[in-house]
Amino acid sequence: MSATTENDAPAKIIVRDLKKSFGANEVLKGINVEIAEGEVVCVIGPSGSGKSTFLRCLNKLEDITAGSVTVDGYDLTDPTVDLNAVRQHIGMVFQHFNLFPHMSALQNIMLAPVELKKLDKAGARAQGMDLLKRVDLAEKADARPASLSGGQKQRVAIARALAMSPGIMLFDEATSALDPEMVGEVLQVIRDLAAEGMTMVVVTHEMGFAREVADRVIFMDGGVICEQGTPEEIFSNAQQPRLQEFLAKVL
Amino acid sequence: MNVYRLATRRGRAALGATLTIVALFLGAGTASAAVMPAASSTQSVKGVEVPMAVAAATDVKGKTFAVATDTTFAPFEFRNGGGDLVGIDMDLLHAIAENQGFSVDIKSLGFDAALQALQSNQVQGVIAGMSITDKRKLIFDFSDPYFDSGVQMAVAKDNETVKTYADLKGKTVAVKRGTEGETFANSIKDANGFTVKALADSATIYDDVKAGNSVAVFDDYPVLAYGVSQNNGLKIVTPKEAGSSYGFAVNKAQNSDLLAAFDAGLANLKANGDYQKILDKYLSAPETAKQTSFFDLLVNSFPALMKGLGMTLLATGLSLIIALVLGVVFGFFKVGESRILRIVASIYVEIFRGTPLLVQAFFFYFGLPQLTGQPLDVLSAGVITLSLNAGAYMTEIVRGGIQSVDPGQLEASRSLGLGYVTSMRRVVVPQAIKIMTPSFINQFVITLKDTSLLAVIGFAELTYQGQQIYAANFRTGETLLIVAALYFIVIFVLTQLSNVLDRKFNK
Repeated sequence: MSATTENDAPAKIIVRDLKKSFGANEVLKGINVEIAEGEVVCVIGPSGSGKSTFLRCLNKLEDITAGSVTVDGYDLTDPTVDLNAVRQHIGMVFQHFNLFPHMSALQNIMLAPVELKKLDKAGARAQGMDLLKRVDLAEKADARPASLSGGQKQRVAIARALAMSPGIMLFDEATSALDPEMVGEVLQVIRDLAAEGMTMVVVTHEMGFAREVADRVIFMDGGVICEQGTPEEIFSNAQQPRLQEFLAKVL
Repeated sequence: MNVYRLATRRGRAALGATLTIVALFLGAGTASAAVMPAASSTQSVKGVEVPMAVAAATDVKGKTFAVATDTTFAPFEFRNGGGDLVGIDMDLLHAIAENQGFSVDIKSLGFDAALQALQSNQVQGVIAGMSITDKRKLIFDFSDPYFDSGVQMAVAKDNETVKTYADLKGKTVAVKRGTEGETFANSIKDANGFTVKALADSATIYDDVKAGNSVAVFDDYPVLAYGVSQNNGLKIVTPKEAGSSYGFAVNKAQNSDLLAAFDAGLANLKANGDYQKILDKYLSAPETAKQTSFFDLLVNSFPALMKGLGMTLLATGLSLIIALVLGVVFGFFKVGESRILRIVASIYVEIFRGTPLLVQAFFFYFGLPQLTGQPLDVLSAGVITLSLNAGAYMTEIVRGGIQSVDPGQLEASRSLGLGYVTSMRRVVVPQAIKIMTPSFINQFVITLKDTSLLAVIGFAELTYQGQQIYAANFRTGETLLIVAALYFIVIFVLTQLSNVLDRKFNK
């Protein structure tokens, strides 16, 4: 809401009455939200609230049961839309990294640009090295994921997600599987991306981080958006009892 | 075709056994029609005049006649250590030809095929330990009988208690299935109070006695006498029961000069004593057949076993390649999104995993040609069977391999904008192959060993060659030891090699 009023350009992501069921279990019960270009949205909420499912609907890793998700003007529920083309503009970072174990760090990053003919091999290699430098892992270019620490893996995964130069980045609890001492290095990379003006949707349990980088915080509970607002509104002036309860537990 | 076959005379016991099973399997009383692929062609060419019959009508001197025979029916025709076809039929025919001044061109085709070749005039005569019967006389003209067969009883060499049929009371007797020996044993078993146990071939029933499972065998006199002469560990204790006679056959009303020459030559040989010499060479004087060493057996059997091993590897190789393709296709069906393809793949797997390989082999070799009218050679039938069978297991290996790759891998790849096929090819399959490799090596070993089951449809692989060897020399234990050692060595070497490759490429 605040985002759309800030600038006149159409929203980057428009979600209308999004519903998602797994069998008889309705996980998302009607989500409506718009995310503007350059906006950083953090999604918080108790486990099972549907926040990861919501995120995975934004690039249609999950089939959408009802409603619509429009990204860059493309309706993902329209069967004529080339999902692969849309997904090239949406980078995703997973909780468990999901690096390709049979490839080196650099090969992980080069795969999509080469396969999708965005770059030739040499170009992809140069870009891959640049991205690795950006996440401070240039020396690990030839290392297999198995030999990297959790924090290093997640930084490679972020570099991989950036390889197609996406306009949107989705983070699905990107620091949840990390040892505490490695959380900081990953958050720093995300923080840098936010500073560069990347449109981001970040599902996180790091309340301090959400408060620091988010333009807007969405609190989800029971498959709906329960409350949303600026970090200040959410963390210092929570309205809903469920949010107050949640914050009391995690802060 | 069974019309031509008499119970006493079975070229390959295994073939007969399969017939019974196929008849049951198909629930049809017409299994005999399926035996040999060439059967269908017989009718169409019957009655065609052969020019040679006319040309040689006046005199056989200087002529060459094609004569068909069986592959292995010791002691009438079998291959000796040097691989030459020898035996009573062969020696007799050569002696008669020499005596009458004609030449013969021997075609070792197998019993059924020999009769077909004669009927279609591809050969002029058949000599194959063939009983003279009324049914056969309708189609063929026979020479004078050159051998009188009949059933005898034999017991273990050191058995001093069983000397007559009456001594068999309460005991078990082994016979070859479908033979006159079986018929005779059944006819006297109630009167003498013994049990009859029917087994597949002569070597097996002798082994059954040696192993102590049975006390005696009833078998055709020449086969038994030859076995004893080859130190099969038995001795004959009863006189010969009257049985059928063997004759040389030509097509009815054709090649009468050849038939006359055979009779004349046979009479001459009988008169000059050569006939008896030939019989004695194969049937009497056990001391003439000295027990050769294990090493001699190894050396003598090696060429045939190597040939068999080659066929084993050929069938294994072809089957695995086809099975791999089937496994990949149906495996992807199984993990794919199409419900119909998933069902198709499941049905395929359930059928071939849920029925015995042996039944599948019978079906493709005997059953399918009957249903389609299209004959299938034994290699094709064998490879089809093994491919489809191994393919079902490969399908499950591929499915399991792909499904054991973390779904997050596919998600990560798809989230980058890579399509399903590219994602599978570059991300999922390389990881799945690594997971699947040990199972593939395992399946490869299983398929290699499964080729041995194709011996029952007469596919000349390693086990079959081993059976042929001990059918002639009765050294079952030692021959099977060599066969087993060959399987072991080949499988050991190939699995070691596979493991090295696995380590090298699947780091």
